[in-house]
Amino acid sequence: MSITTTDEIETTRTAIRETIYRACLLLDDGRFADWLDLCAPDFRYQIKAFSPEIRKEMTWYEQDVSGLRTMIEMLPKHNTDHGRLMRHATVYTIDIDRDGGNAVATTAFSCYRTAFDGINSHLDAGESQLFVIGRYHDRLRLGADGPRFVERTVVLDTRRLDKGSHYPV
Amino acid sequence: MTGIEIDTTRYDSGERMPSVDSRIYSNRQIFEEELEKIWKKVWLVTVHESEIPEPLDFRTITIAREPIVIVRGTDGTVRAFLNVCPHRGNLILRQPSGSLTVAEPSGNANHMTCMFHAWQFDCFGRCVDIPRMKQGYQERLRNEDVALTELPCEVAHGGFVWLSLNPDSGPLSAFTGGAFDAMKTELETEPLDVFHYHKAIIPSNYKLWHDTNSEFYHDYMHYFNRATSMVQKGYFDRRYGAFPNGHATVGSMEVKYDAYKGAAERPLSFPGMERNGWKMVDLFPGATYNIRGSSLRLDTMTPISADLVMIEFRGLGLKKDTAEERAQRIRDHNTIWGPFGRNLHEDLLGITGQGVTMRPGTAPRRILHGRHENNLIHDEIGMRHYYAEWARRMGRSPANPMAAPIAMAAE
Ligand code: FES
Ligand SMILES: [Fe+2]
Repeated sequence: MSITTTDEIETTRTAIRETIYRACLLLDDGRFADWLDLCAPDFRYQIKAFSPEIRKEMTWYEQDVSGLRTMIEMLPKHNTDHGRLMRHATVYTIDIDRDGGNAVATTAFSCYRTAFDGINSHLDAGESQLFVIGRYHDRLRLGADGPRFVERTVVLDTRRLDKGSHYPV
Repeated sequence: MTGIEIDTTRYDSGERMPSVDSRIYSNRQIFEEELEKIWKKVWLVTVHESEIPEPLDFRTITIAREPIVIVRGTDGTVRAFLNVCPHRGNLILRQPSGSLTVAEPSGNANHMTCMFHAWQFDCFGRCVDIPRMKQGYQERLRNEDVALTELPCEVAHGGFVWLSLNPDSGPLSAFTGGAFDAMKTELETEPLDVFHYHKAIIPSNYKLWHDTNSEFYHDYMHYFNRATSMVQKGYFDRRYGAFPNGHATVGSMEVKYDAYKGAAERPLSFPGMERNGWKMVDLFPGATYNIRGSSLRLDTMTPISADLVMIEFRGLGLKKDTAEERAQRIRDHNTIWGPFGRNLHEDLLGITGQGVTMRPGTAPRRILHGRHENNLIHDEIGMRHYYAEWARRMGRSPANPMAAPIAMAAE
Protein backbone atom coordinates (compact mmCIF):
# COMPACT_ATOMS: atom_id res chain seq x y z
CA MET A 1 0.00 0.00 0.00
CA SER A 2 1.57 3.26 -1.05
CA ILE A 3 0.28 6.67 -0.16
CA THR A 4 1.50 9.43 -2.39
CA THR A 5 -0.89 12.26 -3.18
CA THR A 6 -1.67 15.03 -0.73
CA ASP A 7 -5.28 13.95 -0.75
CA GLU A 8 -4.36 10.37 0.12
CA ILE A 9 -2.19 11.56 2.95
CA GLU A 10 -4.92 13.79 4.34
CA THR A 11 -7.55 11.03 4.07
CA THR A 12 -5.22 8.61 5.83
CA ARG A 13 -4.47 11.07 8.59
CA THR A 14 -8.17 11.65 9.16
CA ALA A 15 -8.81 7.90 9.30
CA ILE A 16 -6.03 7.40 11.82
CA ARG A 17 -7.21 10.27 14.01
CA GLU A 18 -10.75 8.87 13.95
CA THR A 19 -9.57 5.40 14.85
CA ILE A 20 -7.70 6.73 17.87
CA TYR A 21 -10.69 8.77 19.01
CA ARG A 22 -13.05 5.87 18.40
CA ALA A 23 -10.81 3.70 20.58
CA CYS A 24 -11.08 6.32 23.32
CA LEU A 25 -14.87 6.28 23.18
CA LEU A 26 -14.99 2.47 23.27
CA LEU A 27 -12.64 2.37 26.27
CA ASP A 28 -14.71 5.10 27.99
CA ASP A 29 -17.82 2.99 27.50
CA GLY A 30 -16.16 -0.21 28.67
CA ARG A 31 -16.72 -1.81 25.24
CA PHE A 32 -13.46 -3.70 25.36
CA ALA A 33 -14.36 -6.35 22.78
CA ASP A 34 -15.24 -3.62 20.27
CA TRP A 35 -12.02 -1.83 21.13
CA LEU A 36 -10.08 -5.00 20.33
CA ASP A 37 -11.84 -5.14 16.95
CA LEU A 38 -9.86 -2.00 16.09
CA CYS A 39 -6.66 -3.89 16.84
CA ALA A 40 -4.66 -6.20 14.58
CA PRO A 41 -4.30 -9.85 15.70
CA ASP A 42 -0.65 -9.15 16.60
CA PHE A 43 -1.57 -6.10 18.74
CA ARG A 44 0.55 -5.45 21.82
CA TYR A 45 -0.56 -3.21 24.68
CA GLN A 46 1.75 -1.82 27.35
CA ILE A 47 1.56 0.67 30.19
CA LYS A 48 4.90 2.21 31.11
CA ALA A 49 6.17 4.87 33.46
CA PHE A 50 9.54 6.20 34.46
CA SER A 51 10.40 6.11 38.14
CA PRO A 52 12.98 8.66 39.31
CA GLU A 53 12.98 6.78 42.63
CA ILE A 54 14.53 3.67 41.10
CA ARG A 55 15.90 5.49 38.02
CA LYS A 56 14.25 3.04 35.65
CA GLU A 57 11.61 2.89 33.00
CA MET A 58 9.02 0.45 34.30
CA THR A 59 6.47 -1.72 32.56
CA TRP A 60 3.31 -1.82 34.64
CA TYR A 61 1.14 -3.80 32.27
CA GLU A 62 1.74 -5.82 29.14
CA GLN A 63 -0.68 -7.94 27.10
CA ASP A 64 -1.27 -9.26 23.62
CA VAL A 65 -4.75 -9.58 22.15
CA SER A 66 -5.54 -12.95 23.67
CA GLY A 67 -4.20 -11.79 27.03
CA LEU A 68 -6.42 -8.73 26.90
CA ARG A 69 -9.46 -10.80 25.94
CA THR A 70 -8.84 -13.21 28.81
CA MET A 71 -8.27 -10.37 31.23
CA ILE A 72 -11.55 -8.78 30.25
CA GLU A 73 -13.34 -12.11 30.48
CA MET A 74 -12.00 -12.62 34.03
CA LEU A 75 -12.92 -9.16 35.32
CA PRO A 76 -16.40 -10.12 36.58
CA LYS A 77 -14.78 -12.60 38.96
CA HIS A 78 -12.80 -9.82 40.61
CA ASN A 79 -13.72 -7.25 43.21
CA THR A 80 -13.12 -3.92 41.58
CA ASP A 81 -13.69 -0.19 41.80
CA HIS A 82 -16.91 0.72 39.99
CA GLY A 83 -15.90 4.23 38.97
CA ARG A 84 -16.00 5.09 35.32
CA LEU A 85 -12.84 6.09 33.51
CA MET A 86 -13.20 8.73 30.81
CA ARG A 87 -10.49 10.09 28.55
CA HIS A 88 -9.84 13.48 27.06
CA ALA A 89 -7.41 13.00 24.22
CA THR A 90 -5.76 15.08 21.52
CA VAL A 91 -3.87 13.51 18.66
CA TYR A 92 -0.74 15.60 18.42
CA THR A 93 1.23 14.04 15.59
CA ILE A 94 0.75 11.39 12.90
CA ASP A 95 3.69 10.20 10.85
CA ILE A 96 2.86 8.02 7.89
CA ASP A 97 5.36 5.66 6.38
CA ARG A 98 4.15 6.01 2.80
CA ASP A 99 5.54 2.74 1.47
CA GLY A 100 5.23 0.40 4.40
CA GLY A 101 1.57 1.07 5.05
CA ASN A 102 2.30 1.92 8.66
CA ALA A 103 1.84 5.02 10.76
CA VAL A 104 2.84 6.17 14.19
CA ALA A 105 0.79 8.62 16.22
CA THR A 106 1.32 10.45 19.48
CA THR A 107 -1.73 11.39 21.50
CA ALA A 108 -1.82 13.32 24.75
CA PHE A 109 -4.54 12.18 27.12
CA SER A 110 -5.91 12.68 30.57
CA CYS A 111 -8.09 10.03 32.15
CA TYR A 112 -10.63 11.00 34.78
CA ARG A 113 -12.45 8.74 37.16
CA THR A 114 -16.02 9.56 38.08
CA ALA A 115 -16.61 7.88 41.39
CA PHE A 116 -19.40 5.42 41.91
CA ASP A 117 -18.28 3.69 45.10
CA GLY A 118 -15.41 6.15 45.59
CA ILE A 119 -14.11 6.05 49.16
CA ASN A 120 -17.51 6.54 50.79
CA SER A 121 -20.10 6.52 48.02
CA HIS A 122 -22.52 8.67 49.99
CA LEU A 123 -19.98 11.48 49.78
CA ASP A 124 -18.05 10.68 46.64
CA ALA A 125 -20.40 9.17 44.05
CA GLY A 126 -20.55 11.53 41.11
CA GLU A 127 -17.28 13.29 41.78
CA SER A 128 -14.75 13.30 38.94
CA GLN A 129 -11.07 13.21 39.77
CA LEU A 130 -8.04 13.09 37.58
CA PHE A 131 -6.78 9.50 37.58
CA VAL A 132 -3.77 9.63 35.25
CA ILE A 133 -2.25 11.74 32.51
CA GLY A 134 0.13 10.57 29.83
CA ARG A 135 0.59 9.86 26.17
CA TYR A 136 -0.48 7.12 23.83
CA HIS A 137 2.26 6.08 21.46
CA ASP A 138 0.44 4.12 18.78
CA ARG A 139 1.60 2.17 15.77
CA LEU A 140 -1.10 1.44 13.23
CA ARG A 141 -1.24 -0.71 10.11
CA LEU A 142 -3.05 0.82 7.16
CA GLY A 143 -5.20 -1.80 5.47
CA ALA A 144 -8.19 -1.98 3.16
CA ASP A 145 -10.66 -1.85 6.05
CA GLY A 146 -8.97 1.12 7.68
CA PRO A 147 -6.16 1.64 10.18
CA ARG A 148 -5.69 -1.04 12.84
CA PHE A 149 -3.68 -0.70 16.04
CA VAL A 150 -0.56 -2.88 16.08
CA GLU A 151 0.95 -1.42 19.20
CA ARG A 152 -0.13 0.93 21.93
CA THR A 153 2.31 2.05 24.57
CA VAL A 154 0.66 4.13 27.25
CA VAL A 155 3.36 6.24 28.84
CA LEU A 156 2.06 7.58 32.12
CA ASP A 157 3.29 10.77 33.67
CA THR A 158 1.24 10.03 36.80
CA ARG A 159 3.05 7.68 39.11
CA ARG A 160 0.92 7.75 42.23
CA LEU A 161 -2.16 5.75 41.35
CA ASP A 162 -3.50 5.19 44.85
CA LYS A 163 -6.04 2.37 44.71
CA GLY A 164 -5.18 1.66 41.06
CA SER A 165 -7.49 0.00 38.54
CA HIS A 166 -8.26 -3.28 36.83
CA TYR A 167 -8.94 -1.62 33.49
CA PRO A 168 -6.72 -0.61 30.59
CA VAL A 169 -6.33 3.18 30.39
CA MET B 1 11.77 -22.31 61.88
CA THR B 2 8.63 -21.44 63.77
CA GLY B 3 10.25 -18.77 65.93
CA ILE B 4 9.21 -18.18 69.50
CA GLU B 5 6.34 -19.57 71.44
CA ILE B 6 3.68 -16.98 70.90
CA ASP B 7 2.72 -15.13 74.03
CA THR B 8 -0.39 -13.14 73.38
CA THR B 9 -1.45 -12.95 77.02
CA ARG B 10 -0.71 -9.24 77.26
CA TYR B 11 -3.18 -8.84 74.47
CA ASP B 12 -6.00 -11.35 74.47
CA SER B 13 -5.66 -12.56 78.07
CA GLY B 14 -6.99 -15.93 77.05
CA GLU B 15 -10.30 -14.43 75.93
CA ARG B 16 -12.65 -16.75 74.11
CA MET B 17 -12.80 -14.30 71.23
CA PRO B 18 -9.71 -12.11 70.86
CA SER B 19 -10.56 -8.71 69.44
CA VAL B 20 -9.23 -5.19 69.30
CA ASP B 21 -11.05 -1.91 69.79
CA SER B 22 -11.36 0.05 66.54
CA ARG B 23 -9.96 3.15 68.26
CA ILE B 24 -6.46 1.71 67.84
CA TYR B 25 -7.07 2.51 64.18
CA SER B 26 -9.07 5.71 64.49
CA ASN B 27 -7.88 7.67 67.50
CA ARG B 28 -5.61 10.63 66.73
CA GLN B 29 -3.96 10.62 70.16
CA ILE B 30 -3.06 6.96 69.78
CA PHE B 31 -1.62 7.70 66.36
CA GLU B 32 0.62 10.47 67.73
CA GLU B 33 1.72 8.17 70.51
CA GLU B 34 2.56 5.45 67.98
CA LEU B 35 4.86 7.83 66.14
CA GLU B 36 6.74 8.55 69.37
CA LYS B 37 6.76 5.10 70.93
CA ILE B 38 7.09 2.96 67.83
CA TRP B 39 8.01 4.74 64.58
CA LYS B 40 10.69 6.94 66.15
CA LYS B 41 12.11 4.02 68.11
CA VAL B 42 12.51 1.00 65.86
CA TRP B 43 14.50 0.05 62.75
CA LEU B 44 12.63 0.55 59.47
CA VAL B 45 13.37 -0.79 56.01
CA THR B 46 13.47 1.97 53.38
CA VAL B 47 14.98 2.21 49.89
CA HIS B 48 17.04 -0.42 48.07
CA GLU B 49 20.77 0.05 47.58
CA SER B 50 20.31 -0.29 43.81
CA GLU B 51 18.44 3.04 43.91
CA ILE B 52 21.68 4.79 44.86
CA PRO B 53 24.24 2.82 42.83
CA GLU B 54 26.95 5.51 42.43
CA PRO B 55 28.88 7.56 44.99
CA LEU B 56 26.97 10.78 45.80
CA ASP B 57 23.63 9.35 44.64
CA PHE B 58 20.85 10.21 47.06
CA ARG B 59 17.22 9.43 47.91
CA THR B 60 14.93 11.39 50.20
CA ILE B 61 12.19 9.93 52.40
CA THR B 62 10.11 10.79 55.47
CA ILE B 63 9.65 8.84 58.69
CA ALA B 64 7.25 10.02 61.39
CA ARG B 65 7.16 13.43 59.63
CA GLU B 66 10.96 13.76 59.82
CA PRO B 67 12.58 14.37 56.41
CA ILE B 68 15.58 12.14 55.77
CA VAL B 69 18.24 11.98 53.08
CA ILE B 70 20.04 8.74 52.29
CA VAL B 71 23.31 9.28 50.46
CA ARG B 72 26.06 7.01 49.22
CA GLY B 73 29.37 8.52 50.26
CA THR B 74 32.47 8.93 48.14
CA ASP B 75 33.74 5.97 50.20
CA GLY B 76 30.82 3.83 48.97
CA THR B 77 29.13 3.71 52.39
CA VAL B 78 25.43 4.49 52.64
CA ARG B 79 24.54 7.03 55.33
CA ALA B 80 21.32 8.67 56.46
CA PHE B 81 20.86 12.20 57.82
CA LEU B 82 17.98 14.39 58.81
CA ASN B 83 17.27 16.40 55.66
CA VAL B 84 16.89 19.51 57.77
CA CYS B 85 19.11 22.56 57.57
CA PRO B 86 20.67 23.39 60.95
CA HIS B 87 20.49 27.09 60.08
CA ARG B 88 16.77 27.89 59.99
CA GLY B 89 15.24 24.52 59.35
CA ASN B 90 14.72 24.53 55.60
CA LEU B 91 14.38 21.22 53.79
CA ILE B 92 17.75 20.70 52.10
CA LEU B 93 17.20 18.21 49.27
CA ARG B 94 13.81 18.58 47.65
CA GLN B 95 13.88 15.90 44.95
CA PRO B 96 13.05 12.21 45.53
CA SER B 97 16.40 11.20 44.05
CA GLY B 98 19.44 12.56 42.31
CA SER B 99 23.18 12.91 42.37
CA LEU B 100 25.15 15.41 44.43
CA THR B 101 27.64 15.59 41.57
CA VAL B 102 25.27 18.08 39.96
CA ALA B 103 25.90 21.65 41.15
CA GLU B 104 22.95 23.63 42.53
CA PRO B 105 22.24 27.27 41.63
CA SER B 106 23.39 28.32 45.10
CA GLY B 107 25.93 25.60 45.80
CA ASN B 108 28.86 23.63 44.49
CA ALA B 109 28.91 20.18 42.95
CA ASN B 110 29.46 17.26 45.38
CA HIS B 111 27.68 19.08 48.19
CA MET B 112 24.20 19.13 49.65
CA THR B 113 23.24 22.77 49.50
CA CYS B 114 20.43 24.42 51.36
CA MET B 115 19.09 26.81 48.73
CA PHE B 116 17.85 29.34 51.32
CA HIS B 117 21.14 30.87 52.55
CA ALA B 118 23.53 28.56 50.70
CA TRP B 119 24.92 26.54 53.60
CA GLN B 120 26.69 23.52 52.16
CA PHE B 121 27.23 20.02 53.54
CA ASP B 122 29.31 17.11 52.26
CA CYS B 123 28.28 13.46 51.92
CA PHE B 124 29.50 12.79 55.47
CA GLY B 125 27.07 15.39 56.82
CA ARG B 126 29.80 17.90 57.66
CA CYS B 127 29.01 21.56 57.21
CA VAL B 128 31.63 22.74 54.73
CA ASP B 129 30.51 26.24 53.79
CA ILE B 130 28.63 29.03 55.54
CA PRO B 131 28.51 32.28 53.56
CA ARG B 132 30.03 35.26 55.44
CA MET B 133 30.51 33.08 58.48
CA LYS B 134 33.09 35.21 60.34
CA GLN B 135 31.29 38.50 59.63
CA GLY B 136 28.01 37.23 61.01
CA TYR B 137 28.89 34.71 63.69
CA GLN B 138 32.41 35.94 64.62
CA GLU B 139 33.89 33.20 66.85
CA ARG B 140 30.53 32.04 68.17
CA LEU B 141 29.81 29.26 65.65
CA ARG B 142 31.96 26.32 64.60
CA ASN B 143 31.19 24.13 61.58
CA GLU B 144 31.14 21.08 63.87
CA ASP B 145 28.16 22.56 65.75
CA VAL B 146 26.02 22.59 62.65
CA ALA B 147 26.67 19.20 61.04
CA LEU B 148 23.68 17.27 59.77
CA THR B 149 22.18 14.83 62.27
CA GLU B 150 23.29 11.34 61.29
CA LEU B 151 20.95 8.41 61.88
CA PRO B 152 21.73 4.74 62.56
CA CYS B 153 21.81 3.12 59.12
CA GLU B 154 22.59 -0.39 57.87
CA VAL B 155 22.29 -2.13 54.51
CA ALA B 156 20.86 -5.60 55.08
CA HIS B 157 18.31 -8.31 54.29
CA GLY B 158 18.54 -8.24 50.50
CA GLY B 159 20.44 -4.97 50.12
CA PHE B 160 17.84 -2.70 51.65
CA VAL B 161 18.74 0.44 53.56
CA TRP B 162 17.46 0.19 57.12
CA LEU B 163 17.46 3.14 59.44
CA SER B 164 16.18 4.40 62.73
CA LEU B 165 15.37 7.80 64.17
CA ASN B 166 16.50 6.43 67.51
CA PRO B 167 20.21 7.05 68.18
CA ASP B 168 20.06 4.24 70.77
CA SER B 169 18.38 1.74 68.47
CA GLY B 170 21.12 -0.89 68.96
CA PRO B 171 22.16 -3.15 66.07
CA LEU B 172 19.59 -4.02 63.40
CA SER B 173 20.23 -7.73 63.93
CA ALA B 174 18.87 -7.46 67.48
CA PHE B 175 15.63 -6.01 66.10
CA THR B 176 15.02 -8.39 63.20
CA GLY B 177 16.29 -11.42 65.16
CA GLY B 178 15.54 -14.67 63.37
CA ALA B 179 12.69 -13.29 61.26
CA PHE B 180 14.73 -13.54 58.07
CA ASP B 181 16.18 -17.00 58.71
CA ALA B 182 13.62 -18.64 56.43
CA MET B 183 14.31 -16.17 53.59
CA LYS B 184 18.05 -15.81 53.98
CA THR B 185 19.09 -17.90 50.96
CA GLU B 186 16.64 -16.12 48.69
CA LEU B 187 17.79 -12.67 49.82
CA GLU B 188 21.50 -13.10 50.39
CA THR B 189 22.84 -15.46 47.69
CA GLU B 190 22.73 -13.02 44.79
CA PRO B 191 22.54 -9.21 44.69
CA LEU B 192 18.97 -8.04 44.07
CA ASP B 193 17.80 -5.27 41.77
CA VAL B 194 14.60 -3.19 41.85
CA PHE B 195 12.48 -3.18 38.71
CA HIS B 196 9.20 -1.85 40.05
CA TYR B 197 8.20 1.08 42.21
CA HIS B 198 4.86 2.71 42.75
CA LYS B 199 3.04 4.22 45.66
CA ALA B 200 -0.47 4.70 46.95
CA ILE B 201 -1.90 7.07 49.52
CA ILE B 202 -4.95 5.46 51.05
CA PRO B 203 -7.39 7.00 53.55
CA SER B 204 -7.01 4.26 56.14
CA ASN B 205 -4.91 3.39 59.16
CA TYR B 206 -1.49 1.90 58.40
CA LYS B 207 -2.05 -1.05 60.72
CA LEU B 208 -4.98 -2.19 58.62
CA TRP B 209 -2.57 -2.71 55.71
CA HIS B 210 -0.22 -4.64 57.93
CA ASP B 211 -3.17 -6.71 59.15
CA THR B 212 -4.02 -7.52 55.52
CA ASN B 213 -0.45 -8.62 54.95
CA SER B 214 -0.58 -10.70 58.16
CA GLU B 215 -3.67 -12.80 57.48
CA PHE B 216 -4.71 -15.03 54.60
CA TYR B 217 -8.34 -15.48 55.51
CA HIS B 218 -8.94 -12.60 53.09
CA ASP B 219 -7.98 -14.84 50.17
CA TYR B 220 -11.75 -15.11 49.79
CA MET B 221 -11.54 -11.58 48.36
CA HIS B 222 -9.07 -12.63 45.64
CA TYR B 223 -10.41 -14.85 42.89
CA PHE B 224 -6.81 -15.25 41.74
CA ASN B 225 -5.75 -16.73 45.09
CA ARG B 226 -8.82 -18.90 45.42
CA ALA B 227 -8.07 -20.50 42.05
CA THR B 228 -4.29 -20.75 42.26
CA SER B 229 -3.83 -21.43 45.96
CA MET B 230 -6.81 -22.06 48.18
CA VAL B 231 -8.03 -25.06 46.22
CA GLN B 232 -4.48 -26.37 45.77
CA LYS B 233 -2.49 -28.86 47.80
CA GLY B 234 -0.52 -27.44 50.70
CA TYR B 235 -2.47 -24.20 51.13
CA PHE B 236 -4.03 -25.12 54.47
CA ASP B 237 -0.66 -26.41 55.72
CA ARG B 238 1.08 -23.02 55.48
CA ARG B 239 2.29 -22.17 58.94
CA TYR B 240 2.94 -18.89 60.70
CA GLY B 241 6.14 -18.33 62.59
CA ALA B 242 6.35 -15.61 65.21
CA PHE B 243 9.54 -13.82 66.20
CA PRO B 244 10.52 -11.35 68.90
CA ASN B 245 9.69 -7.67 68.35
CA GLY B 246 6.41 -8.39 66.55
CA HIS B 247 7.68 -9.98 63.33
CA ALA B 248 6.00 -12.97 61.71
CA THR B 249 6.62 -15.28 58.78
CA VAL B 250 4.44 -17.44 56.59
CA GLY B 251 5.71 -20.75 55.23
CA SER B 252 5.70 -21.66 51.56
CA MET B 253 3.43 -23.66 49.28
CA GLU B 254 3.47 -24.44 45.59
CA VAL B 255 1.12 -22.08 43.82
CA LYS B 256 -0.62 -23.35 40.66
CA TYR B 257 -0.51 -20.14 38.63
CA ASP B 258 -1.93 -21.80 35.54
CA ALA B 259 -5.17 -22.49 37.44
CA TYR B 260 -6.04 -18.85 36.72
CA LYS B 261 -6.98 -18.31 33.10
CA GLY B 262 -4.42 -15.96 31.57
CA ALA B 263 -1.71 -16.58 34.18
CA ALA B 264 1.17 -18.96 33.66
CA GLU B 265 3.49 -21.05 35.73
CA ARG B 266 6.48 -19.08 37.02
CA PRO B 267 9.60 -20.87 35.81
CA LEU B 268 11.94 -18.33 37.42
CA SER B 269 12.60 -18.30 41.12
CA PHE B 270 15.00 -17.03 43.77
CA PRO B 271 18.06 -18.93 45.01
CA GLY B 272 16.98 -21.71 47.30
CA MET B 273 13.29 -21.32 46.57
CA GLU B 274 11.19 -24.01 44.94
CA ARG B 275 9.47 -23.06 41.68
CA ASN B 276 6.17 -21.24 42.28
CA GLY B 277 6.93 -21.03 46.00
CA TRP B 278 5.47 -18.27 48.16
CA LYS B 279 6.99 -16.96 51.39
CA MET B 280 6.42 -13.88 53.48
CA VAL B 281 8.10 -11.98 56.29
CA ASP B 282 5.92 -9.40 58.06
CA LEU B 283 7.95 -6.85 59.96
CA PHE B 284 6.77 -4.78 62.85
CA PRO B 285 5.58 -2.02 62.61
CA GLY B 286 4.75 -1.89 58.90
CA ALA B 287 6.75 -3.64 56.16
CA THR B 288 6.41 -6.94 54.33
CA TYR B 289 8.79 -8.99 52.22
CA ASN B 290 6.75 -11.21 49.93
CA ILE B 291 8.34 -13.63 47.45
CA ARG B 292 6.01 -15.29 44.98
CA GLY B 293 8.11 -17.50 42.73
CA SER B 294 9.93 -15.10 40.47
CA SER B 295 9.30 -11.77 42.13
CA LEU B 296 10.05 -10.22 45.51
CA ARG B 297 7.62 -7.54 46.55
CA LEU B 298 8.48 -5.19 49.38
CA ASP B 299 5.79 -3.05 50.98
CA THR B 300 6.90 -0.16 53.15
CA MET B 301 4.54 2.20 54.89
CA THR B 302 4.69 5.84 55.84
CA PRO B 303 1.85 6.63 58.23
CA ILE B 304 0.62 10.18 57.63
CA SER B 305 -2.24 10.45 60.13
CA ALA B 306 -4.63 8.11 61.94
CA ASP B 307 -6.61 7.71 58.72
CA LEU B 308 -4.03 8.23 56.00
CA VAL B 309 -1.09 6.08 54.96
CA MET B 310 1.34 6.00 52.08
CA ILE B 311 2.33 2.53 50.94
CA GLU B 312 5.30 2.09 48.62
CA PHE B 313 5.51 -1.06 46.52
CA ARG B 314 8.74 -2.38 45.09
CA GLY B 315 9.37 -5.35 42.86
CA LEU B 316 12.79 -7.00 42.72
CA GLY B 317 14.59 -9.64 40.75
CA LEU B 318 18.21 -10.74 40.60
CA LYS B 319 20.84 -8.30 39.42
CA LYS B 320 22.24 -10.99 37.11
CA ASP B 321 18.92 -11.49 35.27
CA THR B 322 19.14 -11.57 31.48
CA ALA B 323 16.82 -9.17 29.65
CA GLU B 324 14.40 -12.06 28.97
CA GLU B 325 14.42 -13.22 32.58
CA ARG B 326 13.82 -9.70 33.82
CA ALA B 327 10.92 -9.20 31.41
CA GLN B 328 9.40 -12.46 32.66
CA ARG B 329 9.73 -11.43 36.32
CA ILE B 330 8.09 -8.11 35.52
CA ARG B 331 5.17 -9.81 33.76
CA ASP B 332 4.69 -12.18 36.70
CA HIS B 333 4.82 -9.29 39.15
CA ASN B 334 2.31 -7.19 37.22
CA THR B 335 -0.29 -9.93 36.90
CA ILE B 336 -1.32 -9.47 40.50
CA TRP B 337 0.90 -6.82 42.10
CA GLY B 338 1.21 -3.89 39.70
CA PRO B 339 -1.09 -0.85 39.95
CA PHE B 340 -3.23 -2.61 37.31
CA GLY B 341 -2.74 -6.06 38.83
CA ARG B 342 -5.53 -8.42 39.92
CA ASN B 343 -4.82 -8.61 43.66
CA LEU B 344 -3.31 -5.32 44.76
CA HIS B 345 -6.35 -3.31 43.72
CA GLU B 346 -8.59 -5.65 45.72
CA ASP B 347 -6.38 -5.43 48.80
CA LEU B 348 -6.38 -1.63 48.62
CA LEU B 349 -10.18 -1.57 48.28
CA GLY B 350 -10.35 -3.71 51.42
CA ILE B 351 -8.51 -1.26 53.66
CA THR B 352 -10.22 1.69 51.97
CA GLY B 353 -13.55 0.31 53.17
CA GLN B 354 -12.20 -0.30 56.67
CA GLY B 355 -10.90 3.28 56.65
CA VAL B 356 -14.46 4.57 56.09
CA THR B 357 -15.86 2.73 59.10
CA MET B 358 -12.88 3.71 61.27
CA ARG B 359 -12.52 7.43 60.63
CA PRO B 360 -11.46 9.43 63.69
CA GLY B 361 -14.57 10.02 65.75
CA THR B 362 -16.50 6.95 64.61
CA ALA B 363 -18.03 4.81 67.32
CA PRO B 364 -15.69 2.30 68.97
CA ARG B 365 -16.28 -1.18 67.60
CA ARG B 366 -14.99 -4.64 68.20
CA ILE B 367 -12.65 -5.90 65.46
CA LEU B 368 -12.24 -9.66 65.64
CA HIS B 369 -8.77 -11.18 65.58
CA GLY B 370 -10.01 -14.48 66.90
CA ARG B 371 -9.43 -17.24 64.35
CA HIS B 372 -7.62 -20.20 65.89
CA GLU B 373 -6.51 -22.81 63.36
CA ASN B 374 -3.33 -24.26 64.90
CA ASN B 375 -1.25 -21.33 63.62
CA LEU B 376 -2.00 -22.44 60.06
CA ILE B 377 -2.89 -20.21 57.16
CA HIS B 378 -6.34 -18.94 58.20
CA ASP B 379 -5.31 -18.51 61.83
CA GLU B 380 -5.12 -14.86 62.86
CA ILE B 381 -2.02 -15.41 64.97
CA GLY B 382 0.01 -13.10 62.73
CA MET B 383 -2.15 -10.18 63.80
CA ARG B 384 -2.35 -11.27 67.44
CA HIS B 385 1.41 -11.54 67.62
CA TYR B 386 1.79 -8.04 66.15
CA TYR B 387 -0.59 -6.54 68.68
CA ALA B 388 1.17 -8.23 71.58
CA GLU B 389 4.25 -6.22 70.58
CA TRP B 390 2.15 -3.12 69.98
CA ALA B 391 0.75 -3.46 73.50
CA ARG B 392 4.23 -3.84 74.96
CA ARG B 393 5.57 -0.74 73.24
CA MET B 394 2.46 1.39 73.69
CA GLY B 395 1.69 0.32 77.23
CA ARG B 396 -1.91 0.03 76.11
CA SER B 397 -4.20 -2.91 75.58
CA PRO B 398 -5.50 -3.06 71.98
CA ALA B 399 -8.77 -4.36 73.40
CA ASN B 400 -9.09 -1.44 75.81
CA PRO B 401 -6.82 1.20 74.34
CA MET B 402 -8.20 4.29 76.06
CA ALA B 403 -7.42 3.06 79.56
CA ALA B 404 -4.48 4.91 81.13
CA PRO B 405 -1.19 3.78 79.61
CA ILE B 406 1.13 1.57 81.60
CA ALA B 407 4.94 1.46 81.44
CA MET B 408 6.52 -0.51 78.60
CA ALA B 409 6.86 -4.13 79.61
CA ALA B 410 10.24 -5.82 79.44
CA GLU B 411 11.05 -7.86 76.34
S1 FES C 1 17.83 27.63 56.28
FE1 FES C 1 19.36 26.53 55.31
S2 FES C 1 20.86 27.96 54.84
FE2 FES C 1 19.39 29.06 55.92
FE1 LIG D 1 -4.36 -9.87 49.54
